[in-house]
Amino acid sequence: MNNKYKILLVEDELNICNFIRTVLEANSYHIIDTQKAVTGLSLLKSHCPNLVILDLGLPDMDGTDFIREVRTFSNVPILVLSARSNENDKILALDLGANDYVTKPFGIGELLARVRAILRTSRIQELDADSVPQNFTINDLTIVYDTRKITVADQEIKLTQTEYNIVELLSLHAGKVMTYSEIIHKIWGYSDFGSIKKLQVNMANIRKKLGEKPGENKYILNELGVGYRMNSAND
Amino acid sequence: MKKFEKIFKDTAFTLLVLFFFFIISSWIESLFHNFNLIPAIFTLAVFLISLTTDGFFYGIAASLLSVMALNFAFTFPYFKFNFTIPENLASAVIMLIVTIMSSAMTTKVKQQEKIKAENEKEKMKANLLRAVSHDLRTPLTTIYGSSSLIADQYHSISEEQRIKLARGIKEDSEWLIQMIENLLSITRIDADDSGVKVQKSPTALEELIDSVILKFKKKYPDSPLTVTIPEEFITIPMDAVLIQQVLINILENAVIHAKGMTELKLNVSIDGDKALFEIIDNGCGIEKDRLGSIFTGYYEKKNLHVDAQKHNMGIGLSACATIINAHDGTIHAENLSTGGCRFYFILKLESEEHEQQI
Repeated sequence: MNNKYKILLVEDELNICNFIRTVLEANSYHIIDTQKAVTGLSLLKSHCPNLVILDLGLPDMDGTDFIREVRTFSNVPILVLSARSNENDKILALDLGANDYVTKPFGIGELLARVRAILRTSRIQELDADSVPQNFTINDLTIVYDTRKITVADQEIKLTQTEYNIVELLSLHAGKVMTYSEIIHKIWGYSDFGSIKKLQVNMANIRKKLGEKPGENKYILNELGVGYRMNSAND
Repeated sequence: MKKFEKIFKDTAFTLLVLFFFFIISSWIESLFHNFNLIPAIFTLAVFLISLTTDGFFYGIAASLLSVMALNFAFTFPYFKFNFTIPENLASAVIMLIVTIMSSAMTTKVKQQEKIKAENEKEKMKANLLRAVSHDLRTPLTTIYGSSSLIADQYHSISEEQRIKLARGIKEDSEWLIQMIENLLSITRIDADDSGVKVQKSPTALEELIDSVILKFKKKYPDSPLTVTIPEEFITIPMDAVLIQQVLINILENAVIHAKGMTELKLNVSIDGDKALFEIIDNGCGIEKDRLGSIFTGYYEKKNLHVDAQKHNMGIGLSACATIINAHDGTIHAENLSTGGCRFYFILKLESEEHEQQI
């Protein structure tokens, strides 16, 4: 069985490490684990895993420094485990290049869903590395990048330039949480006092046009206080 | 930010009071042609200023200004400074002494009040800690007992029993998680001593409600929740994670306690510069003797029977009150004449805090 996904787990709590290892192995992933960031870095170089699961609070190195270091030589997807009490840590980790986060304490369902989502998107991106993808589909929503056309259940949705740009950006990173500041910088190129509100208003309009209601968002999901995420799993 | 505001306020107050008393003095002077009253009037002004402002600075500055004003406008030679006349000097010195003494006195009183308030807060924290530690013991007993049974005597218990034990562990851990989340919220609010109680940022109402519905439905998929929010786009300055928790706590409270509930409504409406959040159920209502202390009950709870813990919301509603108060909002609970009860809280739409820059 050499075609299993390889996952590097960097977590200093042995009990949590054991639990995650058991869950992932039971779901046929191949796990390499370590309690230290330094060993994590060398394992990453020698084993080239498909995914890194990283605890932000490590004894020998700050988790955010670890991400910074990894990003200097690798694009491997990183899933961060973080404590709930600090949204800013999550935002920082995401802005540094982490792909997603799971808040401790988490259930196994949540963890597996995130792992699957990240692996799926990164595989698609690898396959399409040389060619820009033609279109994007989630549930009954389709985006054709060439013609900048969005349809829901074969009905064309009329979006403004900015609105389309936001949807396109999120779809190109489907499954990944995009922080408010990341989106704002990529859409407007600068940020000022009203930026977040401007983004929120645009998002409200997009959702209205897509016919989404609070509690029933199928396409663009909220990460409260952090950012937005394009759904990557069909219902 | 708050510090500058305070300085501005105190300075403005000092100048205003002095100006006001200066006018009164001029008026008295022109009315009675008598200067005897004027030092007394200025002493009163200085006393008022030291009473209201913080520290010694404003009091002393006010007394110096008063001495100058007195010297300049109300003593001979008029509209000229003259400190060579011993009478003027004496009045200046007396005024200074009065100021320093009253400033010292009021500062002391203010300090004592602060100490008293802090003691009160400490007492509340100690009560909370006692109650929480007490409540943590019950689920921990299940978790510890069941897990050691599975780890140590795996083979002597049946598979069915093992699953039952594991389910118990899961259930009680969930309760613990919720408890800890609420505790964290409270400490997050207390952590900052600079007067800023929560970090507010503009939050789109529909995004908040979306998150609340998703989280709540995940846990209680069969609850009869219906939601009404305004059509237009609204942002409310808040710590979104904390307010989300308030809403979920109250909704959950209804699911657990409102016996016979068939309807659960979450309504948000806007009235002027205020947002009203209502959670209404048609269950059994709240017992009268609990209603008064429903948000503070936890802090004051004396040794309830240990098994009672699952019957109360734990720390949930107390956390709600703490969070809403930290947002300068108000929260209430009442029984409805039609049966069931209504929880509601009000948040301000306008915020004095500056919008968060990213």
